[in-house]
Amino acid sequence: MSWAQAILLARGLSRGWGGICSTALTGAPFSQVTPQAPRGLHCSTAAHQPDSPLVPRPPEPQRGLVKALAPHEELFRQAPDGVRDKASFVQAVQNFTQYNVHKRGHVDFIYLALRKMREYGVERDLAIYNLLLDIFPKEVFRPRNIFHSIFLHYPRQQECGIAVLEQMENHGVMPNKETEFLLTQIFGRKSYPMLKFVRMKLWFTRFKNINPFPVPRDLPQDPVDLARLALRHMEPDLSARVTVYQMPLSKDSTDATDPTEPHIIGIQSPDQQAALAHHDPAHPIFVEGPFSLWLRDKCVYYHILRADLLPPEERLDLAYGRSSWDDYEFNIDEVEEGPVFAICMAGAHDQATLAKWIQGLQETNPTLARIPVVFRLSASSGELLASSSGLEEPPLTPPEGREEEENNQQRQQQSQS
Amino acid sequence: MALVHKLLNGTYILRKCPKPGVASCPFLNTRFADYCSSSLEKPVAAPGKASSQRKTEGNLEGHHQREVALDITSPEDKPEVSFDKAIKEEIKDHFRRLKDDIVNHWIGPEGRPLHEVLMEQAKVVWQFRGKEDLDKWIVTSDKTIGGRSEVFLKMGRSNQSALLYGTLSSEAPQDGESGRSGYCAMISKIPTGPFERKRFYDWSQFNTLYLRVRGDGRPWMVNIREDTDVIQRKDQMYSYFMFTRGGPYWQEVKIPFSKFFFSNRGRIRDAQYQLLLDKISSIGFTLADKVDGPFFLEIDFIGVFTDPAHTEEFAYENSPELNPRLFK
Repeated sequence: MSWAQAILLARGLSRGWGGICSTALTGAPFSQVTPQAPRGLHCSTAAHQPDSPLVPRPPEPQRGLVKALAPHEELFRQAPDGVRDKASFVQAVQNFTQYNVHKRGHVDFIYLALRKMREYGVERDLAIYNLLLDIFPKEVFRPRNIFHSIFLHYPRQQECGIAVLEQMENHGVMPNKETEFLLTQIFGRKSYPMLKFVRMKLWFTRFKNINPFPVPRDLPQDPVDLARLALRHMEPDLSARVTVYQMPLSKDSTDATDPTEPHIIGIQSPDQQAALAHHDPAHPIFVEGPFSLWLRDKCVYYHILRADLLPPEERLDLAYGRSSWDDYEFNIDEVEEGPVFAICMAGAHDQATLAKWIQGLQETNPTLARIPVVFRLSASSGELLASSSGLEEPPLTPPEGREEEENNQQRQQQSQS
Repeated sequence: MALVHKLLNGTYILRKCPKPGVASCPFLNTRFADYCSSSLEKPVAAPGKASSQRKTEGNLEGHHQREVALDITSPEDKPEVSFDKAIKEEIKDHFRRLKDDIVNHWIGPEGRPLHEVLMEQAKVVWQFRGKEDLDKWIVTSDKTIGGRSEVFLKMGRSNQSALLYGTLSSEAPQDGESGRSGYCAMISKIPTGPFERKRFYDWSQFNTLYLRVRGDGRPWMVNIREDTDVIQRKDQMYSYFMFTRGGPYWQEVKIPFSKFFFSNRGRIRDAQYQLLLDKISSIGFTLADKVDGPFFLEIDFIGVFTDPAHTEEFAYENSPELNPRLFK
């Protein structure tokens, strides 16, 4: 038995002395040993195989892929119907604790569980993080005397605790009192995970509300509601009205955005309506787009109706009187662009859909009937957005991107008839 | 110090014939290795940054990014002038700038009369009205550590704004040491005087940063670096978040300098210090919001001004819990 333990020590040497020595003393060896997996190093007293630590067994080929499974990974495959959700994740964690009273290999298991969280969709669930922290054995890793606190006591476990908290931070999950209690119980108050927790508590609360344009965390799934939210987000004028010009087909169809009847939602404020009413029919107005807008992690596209800049002689020039002492104006001419009359979001980005939008706008803006409308659409990118990736295409490499831009410019010129 | 600076910037002397700077590559690599390794230091709060920005001395990063930045010399622009002539022109240019510098010193700071400088309350520091304005910026992405993000900078519509666009990809590079990735940055070049001497900005009269931008709804981070010769302070910077609204309207972002928090090597420090404005070296914008996809940011101009209504000196206090040494 001591021979096998010596082999274990030798294997674990590359991972650091402190953890290994202390774990060897407390009797929780660092190897990955599970009753289910007949792989890796065996630590059975009955028959020690002298060859197994030196000649590791080849990994079982899974579906033709030669990928070594992480230890305990089969715990995450035990769901009977393959459904990956919170319940099966919790079940997998509980299976680990059940079969492993001494929590052997808990560090590796926790790292694996952190990696698997995204598949199961629980990466923003605080209860799951507390459950993962619960896997650590309590009171074992707390420093008990000054030598423990000088040297990083149980460094692998502390790193693992920090990794759990770091993933929590990446996904914006705020820890609570239960997390604090668990961390104190496991690592003690002066440990690095506890320090990280204190920092999270400070900086998260400090930066929670600094976004002047907050977007809700749970975005609506319905495209019409999402478009409504996005249009309201973009338009600073609170008196603007959102109008739904065309609803998508009912939910009985297979997908809500049917190519023949996409949703069209527009927004226009009273000021914009008045400006459009005063617009001179001699100058055409342009429908430009599509431009992209990001709401958290969803990208939506919108089109705008705008006019070109008026020539200088027709422009109003308001000169503000300033006192001679205070001059807070910047000595620069800001970018001048023509006025925007309306914004819309549609399911499709072709001329027919936008023509329907213009027709819908004509009901509230009768002068629009006399003004010529030119469609300046680019197939994959607008003038604001000059990147070469398409609406749903993966990003292209730069040389291809430049060609795409030239194509877009050609198409733009063609559409500007 | 100046000699070391000269060696590092050796590639900048010959403007028309850039060298890849092979001698400086090991230096670069060692610095990157440090940034990517995980450590037990405090990470930056949301939006989390994978690795910190690199401060670029002269054109080092620019040369690395030549293949991805759009402001490359076009292939038709072959250097017809001879090597010696280029050097002579460069030296004459530097002497001319030195002469201007000395003459301007008599007129006032930076060649403007003193009363004008003291009474100034709003100043445009960077504007984007021509190609030469774009040369004052460097764009980087995590391609330097092996990631897949791309970023380009070009003049926007009708040459009145700059457009920073690209694609962010948070796929981590498979180099065995970086766990996260996905950032794009636009950093201003350090201002240089004659003979490539390092200069700095002095914004001590102003208290707010003003940006006129048009974004796509993504959150950006504004970083300011101080001018220093101490090598331990080269990784320190002051940052704050810039939230873009998205949409077709131009957005004015006003960030008071008191709101910038202090970070070292990409992680917030426990001990917070106020941003002192008398020696600013560069400013930068970073996007690292962990969302894959294309992005763009249009910038009209960047200025600083004095907001008379803003009286806060520093927004963050040091707590005895995190930093007991400061409270002894």
